[in-house]
Amino acid sequence: MNTTFNFNRLGLLIKRYFIENKNKELMYWGILTLVFCLNHQTDSARMIIYIMGFIFAAKLFKIFSYTPGGMHYLLIPATHLEKLVANILLSTVYFFGMILLTFSIGNIIGTNLINALFNQTNSISWDMFSLSQTVSIGNNIPSAFGSPFIGMIFTFFIIQSVFLLGSIYFKRGGLGRTMLSIFGFFLLLVIIELFMFKVMFGSFSVTGNMMASFNFTPENSPTIKIIGHVFKVMSYLLTPFLWVVTYFRLTEKQV
Amino acid sequence: MIDIQNLEFSYSKQTSLLSNLNLQLEAGRIHGLLGKNGEGKSTLLKLISGLVFPKQGEINVMGFKPEKRQPEMLQEIFFLPEELPQLTLSIENYEKVYAPFYPNFNTTQFNDYLKEFEIENKKSLLNKLSHGQKKKVFIAFGLATNTKLLLMDEPTNGLDIPSKGQFRRMVASTLDDSRCLIISTHQVRDLDSLIDSITIMDGHEIVFNEPTENITKKLLFRVADRNEKDESVIYSEDTLRGLYQVCENPTGEESKLDIELLFNAVFTDKKRIMNIFK
Repeated sequence: MNTTFNFNRLGLLIKRYFIENKNKELMYWGILTLVFCLNHQTDSARMIIYIMGFIFAAKLFKIFSYTPGGMHYLLIPATHLEKLVANILLSTVYFFGMILLTFSIGNIIGTNLINALFNQTNSISWDMFSLSQTVSIGNNIPSAFGSPFIGMIFTFFIIQSVFLLGSIYFKRGGLGRTMLSIFGFFLLLVIIELFMFKVMFGSFSVTGNMMASFNFTPENSPTIKIIGHVFKVMSYLLTPFLWVVTYFRLTEKQV
Repeated sequence: MIDIQNLEFSYSKQTSLLSNLNLQLEAGRIHGLLGKNGEGKSTLLKLISGLVFPKQGEINVMGFKPEKRQPEMLQEIFFLPEELPQLTLSIENYEKVYAPFYPNFNTTQFNDYLKEFEIENKKSLLNKLSHGQKKKVFIAFGLATNTKLLLMDEPTNGLDIPSKGQFRRMVASTLDDSRCLIISTHQVRDLDSLIDSITIMDGHEIVFNEPTENITKKLLFRVADRNEKDESVIYSEDTLRGLYQVCENPTGEESKLDIELLFNAVFTDKKRIMNIFK
């Protein structure tokens, strides 16, 4: 028997999820299709994907909020890695695939419905899936992920992995506490940034406009380029790093 | 099958729940785990199944370290907790989802047990069943997994009177030399014909761990006359039928074990009992 990873057990864990949540899933995706019928603007659809995504991810280890449920889950004869991979696949591949599918269906139905109801000739927009290159950060530094769609996938993965960790880290209220932690984390970053501005420039502003007096052209700055590359690498590594942390949290879980 | 050495466990830094606990349990027996409330019986079952980890000491279950929660070990353990999980599944789907994780699961056995418990409709949702019915489903499933180790925390709580007898029959029929059952209970009268080894916890440690044949060899359980005075009496309980007593048994006289009396005797004169079984 494979003691570390067995695809049969992984399949059983995924099957378990679908059998246990069949009705909830049907309702969830049905409602989302309806939402995308009514609103299929690319920007708001992206926001919906992120929000629904983290709500979904925050539920995956919610079973630990109820001790008998957590005991039952931990005693399922599968490795911690298999349990984690099953939840990663559900929160990323399955959820992302399903949300794009419901978006596409909602987009097609919604656009055709509007055309029919209001006698319009709008064409279906597939901007969501755009693979064209883009630039960001003041239009000077290329986006870490190249295209908006790839960027959306990576952003989605990062958000999912943060909330997946939150769902196992906090015994109760994983969603709210993870959001609070993220808020706290970014607040801390802003305070550090302002403190550094104060030390370096003598004054501080959240927008950083006290740097305007300096002749600063980011596109020519090798430091900024290096920072851009570091940011890119960190963006790629953040998700697997959070998955590893989640794995250790699961192995240490006691109920 | 289970070997526990110098086990220390606590939920908080201030209070220790289990300290310097040593225990060996063998296969082929039904072990009754007894103790007052809060002694750590459920926690001990959790430690054995790997749900909580020891602070110090070693636990060996069938050659595995429970805290690693390896599937090879978990597929040989079924733990029936006192409080059951809330699952939105039918009995049929529960079997479909969880049975494949247990290589020795037997569907015929499961169906037979459900039938004996008079649960006919496998399409019933688990969360719509009463506590007792749900417990019957989990007992039937646990027995049908044919795991080597079966841990049961208060299994007869919530069962009606006929079901308690059915439960005893089922458990007795599944036991063989390779299986070990540990039943933690306060309802000793429900299980005294079933248990064949008794483990008593007191002061967060094991104070008594003996097979029933040894107990009746060394202790005599009898009903005595109120005027009778005897130095060999360890514990005595006044009832309408006379004095129910636990006495030393130097002659090896045969008697029927009364677990409740034994339990009270251990708590009345722990040192004396421990000396007898040294």
